[in-house]
Amino acid sequence: MIEISHLYKQFGNDVVALKDLNLVIDRGEFVFIVGSSGAGKSTLLKLLLKEISPTRGSIKIFGRDITRLKGRQIPLLRRNIGMVFQDFRLLNDRNVFENVAFTLRVTGASSKEIRKRVPLSLELVGLKDKQFKKPDELSGGEQQRVCVARAIVNRPAVVIADEPTGNLDPNTSMEIMKLFEEINVRGTTVIVATHAKELVDYFQKRVVVLDRGRLISDQERGVYIDAHKEPLLFPGGGA
Amino acid sequence: MRIRNLFYFLGEALKSVVRHGWMSIASIAVVAMTLLILGCFMVLNFNVANLAEDIKEQVQIVVYIDENADEQTRENLHNKLVAHPELDEVRFVSKDEAMERLKRQMGDRAYLLDGYTEEDANPLRDSYELRTKVPENISLVAEEIGNYPGVGYIDYGEGIVEPLFQFTGVIRYIGLAFMVGLALTAIFLISHTIRMTVYIRRREIQIMKYVGATNWFIRWPFIFEGLILGLVGAVIPVLVVQFSYQAAVEWVQENIYFVTLLPPQQIGTEIARILMPLGVVLGILGSTLSVRRFLNV
Repeated sequence: MIEISHLYKQFGNDVVALKDLNLVIDRGEFVFIVGSSGAGKSTLLKLLLKEISPTRGSIKIFGRDITRLKGRQIPLLRRNIGMVFQDFRLLNDRNVFENVAFTLRVTGASSKEIRKRVPLSLELVGLKDKQFKKPDELSGGEQQRVCVARAIVNRPAVVIADEPTGNLDPNTSMEIMKLFEEINVRGTTVIVATHAKELVDYFQKRVVVLDRGRLISDQERGVYIDAHKEPLLFPGGGA
Repeated sequence: MRIRNLFYFLGEALKSVVRHGWMSIASIAVVAMTLLILGCFMVLNFNVANLAEDIKEQVQIVVYIDENADEQTRENLHNKLVAHPELDEVRFVSKDEAMERLKRQMGDRAYLLDGYTEEDANPLRDSYELRTKVPENISLVAEEIGNYPGVGYIDYGEGIVEPLFQFTGVIRYIGLAFMVGLALTAIFLISHTIRMTVYIRRREIQIMKYVGATNWFIRWPFIFEGLILGLVGAVIPVLVVQFSYQAAVEWVQENIYFVTLLPPQQIGTEIARILMPLGVVLGILGSTLSVRRFLNV
């Protein structure tokens, strides 16, 4: 479903964010993309959303090379990709229902459709009873659930999450990740960029490791690999 | 744009006006203040122009016929004046009529003229009173007519008319320059204020883009919001100008008799006809220009 070949992205003259990246993700897969800061995770996600364009190479989504999309075709691409952010990005002046409904609204869905689909989506993330609360009345985990509900209400083929647990405590992080797993079981492709080692190791999904713009490891049922793990200077001291 | 969306956009715009209450009030205040100043200036300019027009209409050429001219010359002169393309009005005033006027002007002291009323004793001359189609051309036309045979002498307020026309011309240009200047200031202030409201909401715009909103889907509510703010901002100065002008006219009528101002109804409709669309255009322009910067996500 997603086919990335020989992808390069360079910022300015010397900052190389991605170098000859090749990656194929099939329909229904669950993929962790890991790597330390500056490894190229965010750049890759931005490229998938066509927020930026690559220097070279191609990205095919649903068989179509998105690097050649025209400006006014980008919204159509994004309607097929549900996006979850580390900082939630909810509209604080609207309640939970309106935040989720917004995704449907931009596609021109009718009010009837919105009234039918938003509660289904909120039920899946377990927030149906909080639909009239404003985001700032919710906990971080609940806000991220709203974000997930917003990402899936459109029934996109793929959900992409950028550090979705970065602002959450371990228990809540686990819940959110289980939510992604459930969404994945229902047939949606899920791509999660993260550096939460424990979660990656726990779920045993496909793990793609990026380091300084290169793909250095791609394993089915993999574990977190830290490319920069230095030998411990003080053995037994922990770090 | 679908009808379903139209209502949604309008609703969003109204909600946004209420949600961002203080920013909305600031935008409306800016529109209202600039349009109020513009409106006051327009009232002033309309009246000055009206006054100048009044004075212009009173400007005329008086051609006194040479006493020694024979019937043929007089008739030729008459025909030439009537056929003159630059002249709007040609009116013959006989010396008897001129004497009647003089008597009326002298009122109680008309008896002083008693000795001059006899047919042969009337010292006044037959004359023509002429109005030119374009008042500013009066000196040229007067000069030309002065050379016609049968013309004794000509009077058109030489030396007074020219500076008057220069003055009204200058007033008109200054007025125009002021109005253009004020309109530009208004656009600047409004787009600045709205840009601030848009800046506050750049996150919202960014989120809209991420969930797949088209640029127009994002733009429409802002356009309607600008329209609402501009319209409300224009209604205020229209009402203020209308009522204060009404009061001013009443005061002038009671206290300064010789000045006639334009009627308040006329000014009211004129001001509304200019300020309302201007407010709407300013509002829409301000918001569209401001939102454009934040659409590239």
